[in-house]
Amino acid sequence: MFTTLISAIAFGVVLASVIAIASMGFTIQFGLTNMLNLSYGGVMTASAFVAYLLVSHGVSAWYGLIVGGLAGSLMTLVLGRFVLRPYARRGAKLFEMMMVTLGLALVLDYGLQALSHDNIYQFTVLQSSPIHLGPIVITPTQVILAGLGLVVFVGLELLLRLTRIGKALRATAAEPTLARSCGIRTGRVVIVTWLLSGFLCGLAGVVYIINSQSVGYSTGELFLPLVIAAALLGGAGSPKGAVVSALLMGIVTQVVAAFGQPAYSTVAGFAVLVIVLLARPGVVAGSQGAEAQVTL
Amino acid sequence: MVGILLACAIHRGVVLRSIRYKSIAAAGALSIMAAACGSSATSGSSGSSGASSGSPLVVAGVIAITGSSSFEGSNQSGGIYPAIYSINHAGGVLGHQLVYKGVDTRGDPADALPAVQQMLATTKNLVLVAGPGTASAPTIVPVLNAAKIPMTAVAGESSYDFNTLPYFWRLFPPDSANGTGMALWAHQKGYTRVATIFGTDSGSQGDLPGVLASVKALHMDLVSQINVTPDQPSYLSSVQQLMASHPQVIMTESDGTTAGTFFGELKQLGGLQPIIGTEATFTAPWLTAVKGALGSSFEQYYTGMITEPSKTTAAVSTFQTALKATKTQVSPPWQSYLSNPFSLTYYDGIITVALAMVAANSTSPSVFDSYISKVANPGAGKTVVYTYAQGVAALKAGKQIQYFGATGTIDFNKYHNSDGNQEAVGSTSSLNPVPLGVVTAKAIEAVPVVGVA
Repeated sequence: MFTTLISAIAFGVVLASVIAIASMGFTIQFGLTNMLNLSYGGVMTASAFVAYLLVSHGVSAWYGLIVGGLAGSLMTLVLGRFVLRPYARRGAKLFEMMMVTLGLALVLDYGLQALSHDNIYQFTVLQSSPIHLGPIVITPTQVILAGLGLVVFVGLELLLRLTRIGKALRATAAEPTLARSCGIRTGRVVIVTWLLSGFLCGLAGVVYIINSQSVGYSTGELFLPLVIAAALLGGAGSPKGAVVSALLMGIVTQVVAAFGQPAYSTVAGFAVLVIVLLARPGVVAGSQGAEAQVTL
Repeated sequence: MVGILLACAIHRGVVLRSIRYKSIAAAGALSIMAAACGSSATSGSSGSSGASSGSPLVVAGVIAITGSSSFEGSNQSGGIYPAIYSINHAGGVLGHQLVYKGVDTRGDPADALPAVQQMLATTKNLVLVAGPGTASAPTIVPVLNAAKIPMTAVAGESSYDFNTLPYFWRLFPPDSANGTGMALWAHQKGYTRVATIFGTDSGSQGDLPGVLASVKALHMDLVSQINVTPDQPSYLSSVQQLMASHPQVIMTESDGTTAGTFFGELKQLGGLQPIIGTEATFTAPWLTAVKGALGSSFEQYYTGMITEPSKTTAAVSTFQTALKATKTQVSPPWQSYLSNPFSLTYYDGIITVALAMVAANSTSPSVFDSYISKVANPGAGKTVVYTYAQGVAALKAGKQIQYFGATGTIDFNKYHNSDGNQEAVGSTSSLNPVPLGVVTAKAIEAVPVVGVA
């Protein structure tokens, strides 16, 4: 019983690292723009396919992480600047913007489905013997992914807290009008946010397929509800909150899978979200409340 | 819909202000996503009586073309296009060419019903439905039967074992037969400790009751029964749960993505055991995903249980020739359908129905439906034909025919079911089956399976 619990927690941490990277990117974008970007999953998948193409041509999967991240940055920037911003400048409200991103998500999904011929592609980067840490049996790849999640979190926290651009980003997220009047070039901040969240989105896509060992057109779409749930639970714009939420959801799902029926593990993960929102609706930290506007 | 209403309410400022805007918008978005993912994309056309002279006859493929079960549509394309090609190449049916119309069920009854209703309302000269599959059949079959449209279903539900609907035809064994075949094969190999890993989606669950009942009937121990939610990023706890039960063999069905992740993690944690997959695992996405995850271990560990493919006959070579001729139309890779049991079944279904129309000298389903078993079943004095062209020639010569299909003998019983033997197979690198042994229909019938609906 104890061994199973410890193992489940360890597996939960691995799963959390995958969710957390994606959630951190999502929450930064959400926190700054106030816009729920439903095309995030599609960008994740597209970035994962870019990494897959590289790896299938002999490039190391670890370079694939970087390139996948850069691909995510580029795609997010292009979509943000040339699709989303024009809508926002024509006065589209949050709901309309969300519908635009839903449309983009469907375009990306069905486009990827056509391009991938609806096939599933294998993505195995490291086949090695598992590591035995007491009762925990885990693979080197999973250890690396958990470590990567930690590195990304620490790096992001440092960036947001210690650098000028990080402070500008936080200021714009908190009060865009005041930030602008204080001389912060919020337009540039938005671009940096697209690039940063896009990089994390692409990185998460590659991390996801390294962990799941396969990529298909619906990879990101199916993963997105977990990502959004973790971002909401942690509070918009809070990487720390996203990580804690990802840990909670990852561990809950794995413990339920270990002690109950795995079919209910994902249900349990979302149940956490529902229970927390019911008990403490204010935990979702929308900074501007009902008057929030799109910042693009 | 709920999401849209919720978001509209927010937009008008009438929602409780105490709940933060972003969370509501996000919840609405999640609902919208679910609704959007569940929406159907269909094309349509219907009507069923005799077609006017020379007008094309429609064969509708009612199957999952998109979504997580879209491999069903791919398999179907590998049978429908070659069949239509063969028939049209031989002059068509009573002066009519056949055309294909795809109707997307997305593997979900909720999407399938409106798609089929639209098809029936808007399709002229509809003579046959290829499909539906397991997930959508309970919803769709009564509708098609009421519309008097013959269907060559690949529905695995055992409830159709005693079907009484006149327009329902199944050239495919029920899921329970496949499950019994898997259990019999494991039994023959001397395995006594069985674990099952099945996806929670309705398509994957179809074979599970047959597997469980057969394992019990054969007095093997079910040491672990795990159902997994498809397409999760990790199944590590489930993998460990499986390993802790120390099975000797794993029986499975799920979509390819799920299987690739699950078995990849099982291998990484050192828990791999022989795998016996249902017929649905012998498809390109599943094989590709699991082969990639297991690497060189795949051939050692994997056995698929499929409907016994026909041995080399003119029917098979004609199918393969037609498949090559239509390789740009079918979902790639076309080679994966050369021995695909689903593709072969769809092919045979269409050829059989086309021959029934010729035999009945009518394109009206209510007329030719009763000829379907007459042109397929064996019988004394019948001329055995292997291709549509041979069948037409024999019928024109006034002979009674037995169409011996690419899947082998087709022999419909009074419930419109044609079950065949099961065969255990491995897989080549080009996804073709490597025969390992046959489990006969007689042996399957002899297993006292009870409690399978």
